[in-house]
Amino acid sequence: MRCGYTLKPKLIIILLLLVMVPLGLLTWLGSRLIASQRVAVERSFLALQQAKLADVETTISKVLARREQRLVKLGGSLSLTAEAMRETVRSEPWIRQVFLLDRDGKLLHPSPAGPLSMAERTFINRAGQIFDDRDVFLRPAGERPGERPAQADHGWYTWYWRSGLNILLWQRLGNGAILGFELDRFRLIADIISELPDTRSPASLEARLTLTDSRDRVLYQWGDYNPGENEAPATSLALAAPLKPWHLAIYTGGVSPSGVFDSGTQFFLILGLCALGLALLGLAIYFYRESSRELRDAGQRVSFVNHVSHELKTPLTNIRMYAELLQEHLGGEDQRASRHLEVVVSESQRLSRLIDNVLTFSRHQRGTLKLRKLPGVVDEIIGRLLEQSARALSEKNIEFDFERGAPRRVLLDEDVLRQIINNLLTNVEKYAPGGRLTIRTSQAENRTRITVADSGPGVPASCKERVFEPFFRLGSAVSEGAAGTGIGLSIARDLARLHGGDLELVPSDSGAVFEMTLVTETESQDESADCRR
Amino acid sequence: MHWFKTFLGAALALTLFGACGAQAGQVRLGFDVSHPMLLAGHKQTTYLKIGLTGLALASERERAPVNVAIVLDRSGSMSGMKIRRAKEAAIMAIDRLGPDDIVSVVAYDQNINVLVPATKVTDKQYIFNAINRLHPGGMTALFGGVSKGAQETRKFLVRNQVNRVILLSDGLANVGPSSPDALAALGASLIKEGISVTTIGLGLGYNEDLMVKLARASDGNHAFVEGPEQLARIFNYEFGDILSVVANDVNVVISCSPGVRPVRVLGRDADIVGQTITARLNQIYGRQEKYILLEVEVDGSPAGQTRPLASVSVDYTDMAAKHKAHIEARKSVIFTGSAKLVKDNTNSKVMIAAVEQVANETNKRALALRDQGNIHEARQVLLGNERYLNDNAVKYRSSRLKNFGKANRADSDNLSPERWDRQRKQMRKKQYEFDSQQAW
Repeated sequence: MRCGYTLKPKLIIILLLLVMVPLGLLTWLGSRLIASQRVAVERSFLALQQAKLADVETTISKVLARREQRLVKLGGSLSLTAEAMRETVRSEPWIRQVFLLDRDGKLLHPSPAGPLSMAERTFINRAGQIFDDRDVFLRPAGERPGERPAQADHGWYTWYWRSGLNILLWQRLGNGAILGFELDRFRLIADIISELPDTRSPASLEARLTLTDSRDRVLYQWGDYNPGENEAPATSLALAAPLKPWHLAIYTGGVSPSGVFDSGTQFFLILGLCALGLALLGLAIYFYRESSRELRDAGQRVSFVNHVSHELKTPLTNIRMYAELLQEHLGGEDQRASRHLEVVVSESQRLSRLIDNVLTFSRHQRGTLKLRKLPGVVDEIIGRLLEQSARALSEKNIEFDFERGAPRRVLLDEDVLRQIINNLLTNVEKYAPGGRLTIRTSQAENRTRITVADSGPGVPASCKERVFEPFFRLGSAVSEGAAGTGIGLSIARDLARLHGGDLELVPSDSGAVFEMTLVTETESQDESADCRR
Repeated sequence: MHWFKTFLGAALALTLFGACGAQAGQVRLGFDVSHPMLLAGHKQTTYLKIGLTGLALASERERAPVNVAIVLDRSGSMSGMKIRRAKEAAIMAIDRLGPDDIVSVVAYDQNINVLVPATKVTDKQYIFNAINRLHPGGMTALFGGVSKGAQETRKFLVRNQVNRVILLSDGLANVGPSSPDALAALGASLIKEGISVTTIGLGLGYNEDLMVKLARASDGNHAFVEGPEQLARIFNYEFGDILSVVANDVNVVISCSPGVRPVRVLGRDADIVGQTITARLNQIYGRQEKYILLEVEVDGSPAGQTRPLASVSVDYTDMAAKHKAHIEARKSVIFTGSAKLVKDNTNSKVMIAAVEQVANETNKRALALRDQGNIHEARQVLLGNERYLNDNAVKYRSSRLKNFGKANRADSDNLSPERWDRQRKQMRKKQYEFDSQQAW
């Protein structure tokens, strides 16, 4: 049903769409933006963490580099007597043991043959295996296959003994002998700890950094964040040789410290969306109010027209009645006067149809249209109508054919049928003057089909449905010179539908072809059909 | 004739090899042998005692400046009275320091927090405030705490001052290297820089092996403090010690003569390589004797022959004079055919020290047995130790040994599981007291 009041929910839906679609689109775009930004932030966060670990790694590498420098220097100046080497062990905090191998790899100090201290004995026990593994540092540099003849005259060497990593720095002396310093592992750890940051309170770092050994035991940790039991680190990094088996890891709990920035963007985005949403909503409300005011105004106008039509109807009926009476009185005596009367009658009929339309329209809008079905013959009714309209049609040079096919006596609302046909005829008069009008009726069971075809310019396919909308007028080319209320077709369709059928514009090669179906039970059927709506 | 011989021998021994003392600056070296006369023709065991006694400082103003890092456990178990008393004790101790001294305060739970980086003790209130802000909670990163504490002392590391880390812990180390050997290695490394670590175990939850090993390796003190109310006293003792240091960086080298085989050094860690024994003490406190007791095997010689036993050379830094000092001493033994002469000339002071050290080793053996769950055998060993000490107490008329015997009996009564926690800490503390001649 296309009454004016049904426009409102539609309008609301449209306005809501107007608000929701851009808002949804923006939200989607915004969330995409945030997601991609988050990925970018996560990536840069990860890079930041990696950089932090790399920094720490550099610090640790520096500790070892300083040791290396120091020990190489010490090795260069050390007198190679057992006493001097023992004194070095006694006085150098990071040195656990000093050893000396001759160019053939034979251990000269601590000499297994000579008197040994307890510590030296355990050293031979601990490090004995590496003296067999001579490839590591005993072979002169450059002899190793594939290696360029490097100037490697010293280097780190690590090996495992019992529970931990042991580290030594070897150094090739001028005579081909190898002097080695075994580092004290725990002292090395303590020195690394000394160089690494402590944990100040209040918190300076919302993360936990750990240094772990080859067995994943924590050697040192700092930072005010306490990771969960099974929390995986944000990232980790193996130390450079010789501490390769040790790892640095950073735990952040997945919360990026730049989350503030992230949620800030999110906040502003949501704020922007809210503002936009509000603006759109305001706009929608404005339009809604505007249109409802227009509707209200239109309603008032319709109501006014309705009142006026009612007031007009009675005098018009009287005019018609007396005009027709006068016509009968004259009985063709005065040709001129009766011609004039004919015009009066015809015009008052037209006016009466117009008023009927207006009243039907307003009744339809108020939902108070009712059918009053009585027995009648469709062909007869249409035939009478055509007779009445013959003059008006001929004035527009419209020839017409009536192919009768609905002779049965059926139940119908004659007024409704008349009004529909009248409106269709008026339509033809308006838009297809000087053409041919064909009216065809047919009947099958409970249905009556009436086709009204003209030879006018027709209706473009795109407007096929819209011609039935109230107040719709086709473009100027077609409707030029045609005046009307613009509700004729709309009323015709509404009435047809009220009568259980429909009115449609069917496609045709030329002209406009309206096809109407009506439910028309045969007279013998139950009278209760009267009440059916 | 016989008595004359005895007299002559004794006189000779006295004049030639009697109480041998040497002194330079603030440290007096006593080099004594338990048996100045040995029975001819037999390979025998005897003890050499190298005692180093710090002389009393003339006045408090002469004392060496100290550089102390106080490393406080602030793990969750320290909360309440423990942390309160620890703070009070630390504040009270620091209050004894002067503007030439350096102090740093490090607190550790699972993380390390350098509360007061090494600073001259000029603004005490600033230091006290930092200590008072301490709140306990968390785990025990003991290794890291000591590492950072040592690093703070290292910032102002001078040989002419007392460099010390004082570690207070009431719990088991559980973050970072946590084995007694790891901490011992760290301590052994720190002493090379002249840093000692004093370890104070509070309550019954700490690892006494770790704490003792760390102190021993770095020549620090060790204390077992059962209740937090004793902390103030212990800090007082410790600061009493460090404010009385007269010498540091003390290197002792003992060279045994041919025919004299060094067997072991009792109590202390020392390097024995061939005939040479090297030991290091980080400091000598005023009015305290630290000694190195060396057990040697001396080859037999004919009666009347004199055999050089060993020479000892001690190098140290004299804190008052601020220069290096050196003392030397030598010792010989005379061989005699008379067992009586051997007995009469026995140096009871050295013997008492030797008996004490031997009994201390036995006490350690009993503890090891108890660790294996062998309560009965441990008790027997302790009771045997008491008898050994009692016998020697009579022999050398020593009440010290008598008391030590009583202590061993008391130990034997406290081996039951419910008392063992406390008892073990007590025993480790006592053992270390004998090992290092700690005064308190």
